Amino acid sequence: MHLRIVTLLAIAIALRSAAAEPQGPNATSKTPREATPDQAPGGTREATPPVTPPVAPDEPAERAHEAPPPVTPRATRDATLGSLFRRPFPSSRLFAMPLADVVGAYMLSLSGDGSLLQKPGALTSAGVLAVGFGDIAQLEYRHTEAIGLTGLNAPVPAVGVQLKLPIPEHSGIPAVGIAFRLGVPRSETLDGTTINETVTDLYLVGRLRFASVPWLTMHGGTRISSAKAVPGEALPAEQKTLWLPTAGYEVTMNPTAKIVGEIALAPQFQYAPATELGPAMLAIGHGVLGRLGMRWRVLPAIILDGSLGYQIEDAAPTAGFDAVVSWDIRLGAEVFVPWGALACRAAGVFCD
Amino acid sequence: MKQMNGVILATVLGTTAIARAQPAPADPSPPGNSTGSAGDSAGNPAPTGSPAQPAGSTASDPGPLLGGQTDAPADPYAPKSHRREVDRKPINFPEVLTTPTGWLLPAGVLYSNNALDTGGGVTSDNRVGLGDVAEFGIATTDQVRERTTSQDKPEQIQPYVTASFRLGIDENRLFPGEPGVTLGFRKSFERNHHGQKTRIAELTLVASKHLGDRVALHAGGALWDASLQSNATVPGGQDPPQEITLHGHGLKNQVRVFGGFEARPLAKSEILIDLGWAPEFCYQCDTDKIRLRPELSWGVRYEVASFLHIESGVRVPDIGNSNLLDAQIFGQVTFTSFALKSAVESLK
Repeated sequence: MHLRIVTLLAIAIALRSAAAEPQGPNATSKTPREATPDQAPGGTREATPPVTPPVAPDEPAERAHEAPPPVTPRATRDATLGSLFRRPFPSSRLFAMPLADVVGAYMLSLSGDGSLLQKPGALTSAGVLAVGFGDIAQLEYRHTEAIGLTGLNAPVPAVGVQLKLPIPEHSGIPAVGIAFRLGVPRSETLDGTTINETVTDLYLVGRLRFASVPWLTMHGGTRISSAKAVPGEALPAEQKTLWLPTAGYEVTMNPTAKIVGEIALAPQFQYAPATELGPAMLAIGHGVLGRLGMRWRVLPAIILDGSLGYQIEDAAPTAGFDAVVSWDIRLGAEVFVPWGALACRAAGVFCD
Repeated sequence: MKQMNGVILATVLGTTAIARAQPAPADPSPPGNSTGSAGDSAGNPAPTGSPAQPAGSTASDPGPLLGGQTDAPADPYAPKSHRREVDRKPINFPEVLTTPTGWLLPAGVLYSNNALDTGGGVTSDNRVGLGDVAEFGIATTDQVRERTTSQDKPEQIQPYVTASFRLGIDENRLFPGEPGVTLGFRKSFERNHHGQKTRIAELTLVASKHLGDRVALHAGGALWDASLQSNATVPGGQDPPQEITLHGHGLKNQVRVFGGFEARPLAKSEILIDLGWAPEFCYQCDTDKIRLRPELSWGVRYEVASFLHIESGVRVPDIGNSNLLDAQIFGQVTFTSFALKSAVESLK
C-alpha cells in the first residue's frame, strides 16, 4: 500500500516538473537579443525593454504574439540569401528626426520620402544614405530639414557622422547619440536672384524607454544649426547660429507597425527682393515642422512611411493650424542592405 | 434473444468507448477565419465583405487511415504552396457612401471603388491598407462644384484628384466597446478650371461603432479648407490676384459635423445613409466665394462576392435648397483584394 502511494507521489511530482517547463530546456536560453524586434545586430541594446503592442483585455493571448521576434542569423558563407534579409534591422531615424540609434555594423540604409501635395507641381523629397560601423557609428549623406525661400520644406544636403554613446541601457536611462553634419551648398533662385544656402548641424538626441510602458518610446534633442545664405548679388551674406529643439515619439501598435509623431524647429531662409518700399532683404529665421504618421515594417528589411505634415513659418504667421490646405502628405520608404553579410556569402569576407 | 441483445449492447458500448478515445478532428478552418461565424475572434461582428472560405481544405487531409477525415488520397508529390495563409479578417469599409468611417483597411489590402452617377460624374477611389494602423489613397471626386455667379446652377469640377492618408485605431483595440477612431486628411492637387486655380483639403476625426451584428453608427467632425485664385494675367507692375481661402473666413466656416448609419437586414445586403459636406466655389460672388454644402446620400450595398460589392443609391448634392431635381442616382462597384497582403506574407 505504501509502495503504491510513494509511486503515485513520484509520478505526480514528475508530471508537475514536466508541466513547469512549457518550452523545453531551450526556453531558458533565450538571449535578450531575441526579446525585441528592433535590436541592433551588434547587440548594443541587450537591456532594452521588450516592445510589445498594447493588447485589448479581451484579446486572445495568442494574438499578442502574432509574430515572434526574428532571430539574427549568423553571416556565414552558407547562409541563404533570404535569411540575410530576415534579420532585425534597426532604423536610425523617425521621419526626419535622427535617433540615438545607428543602423549597425556592415549595414547600409537607403531611405527617402516625397510629397507632391506640398507645392503644386513640385515634388519635394528627402533622403538618407547611411553606412554603419562597429555598432556605434554611421557615416551618412542626408537631407536635413530646412525651409527654403519659397516657404517650402526644402531639405538641404549634408554629409556627416553619427555616434551612439556606448552607455548600458536600462529602463528610464536614455540612450544618447551625437551627430555632426557638414552642410553641402544648395542653390535656390527667387525673382532672378540665386542664393546659395548651407546648413551645418550638431545634433544631440536621446531615446527613452520605460519597462512599465514597453509600447512607448520617446525621443528628444537639440539641433545646433549654423545656417548661411550667400546671395549672388551685392547683398551681404547672412549667417546665424540657431538652437532648435526637436522631439518625437513612437507607439508600437502591433509587431510590424508604429504610430510616430515628431515636431521640430528648422532653419528657414527668407528673401524679399527690392521694391519701391525698400531694399532687398535676406534673413534667416526658423519655422515649426510637425509630422504624424506611421512606419510599417512590411518586410524585415523594408519599412514604409506615411505621414501628414504641418508647417508654421515665422515669415507667414497668418497661416495657422486651421490652414489645412497647406498641410501635406508624405510617403517614404527605408531599405536595409546587409552588405557585410552579402559580402561574406559571396566572397567570404566580413563574416561573423 | 437476450444473449443477442447483450452482444449488441456490448458492441455499441465498446464502439462508443473506442470512438471517444480518438482525438478530436482538427478544425480545418485557419485561425482568424471568420467564415461560419458572425464575427472575428475579438468578437467584432462581421459587417460586410466576409471573405470566402479558402478552398482546398481537403487537399491536406491525409485520409482516414492517418487520422484524417476523408477518403481522398493524398498526393505525396503534389506541389506545396509556398504562400502563408493570410488572416482574412472581414473588411470594414473606409467609407459609408460619401463620408469616411472610423474603420481602416487591413494591412496590405487593396480597395477600389468606381462610381457613375446621373449627373455625369465618374469617380474612382483607390486605397491600400498600411500596417493595420493607416491607409493611403488616391481618388477622383465629383463632389467639388463651381459656379460663376450666385444665380448660376452649380456644375461639377471633374476630375478633381485628391490624395488621402488616414491613421487610426481599430474597434475594441484599447478596451472592449471602444469605437474605431481614425484621423484622416484629404487634400487635392491644384486644379485649373475656367481660369481659376482651386484646391481643397479636409481634416477629419471620425468614430465608428457596431451596435450588435447588424447595425453600425458613424459620427465625426471635419475641418475643411479650400483656396481659390484667379489665373488672369495682370498688367506689369500690378500684384497678381489675391488668393482667397476658407480659413481666411474664420473657423466657424470650416468646422462641420458629419455622420452615417449602416444596417444589415439581410446577410449580404446593407442599407446606408450618410450626411456629409462638399465645397463649392463661386467665382464672381461678392461674398461666400467658397462655401460648404450639406450633402445627403442613401443607398444599398450588396455583396456579390467576397471581393466584389455593388452599391446604388441617391445623392442630394445640396439638401439646403430642397431641390430634388439636383438629386443624382449613382451606381458604384467596389473591389477588395488580399493579393498584396498574400504577396507580402509569402515574402516573409
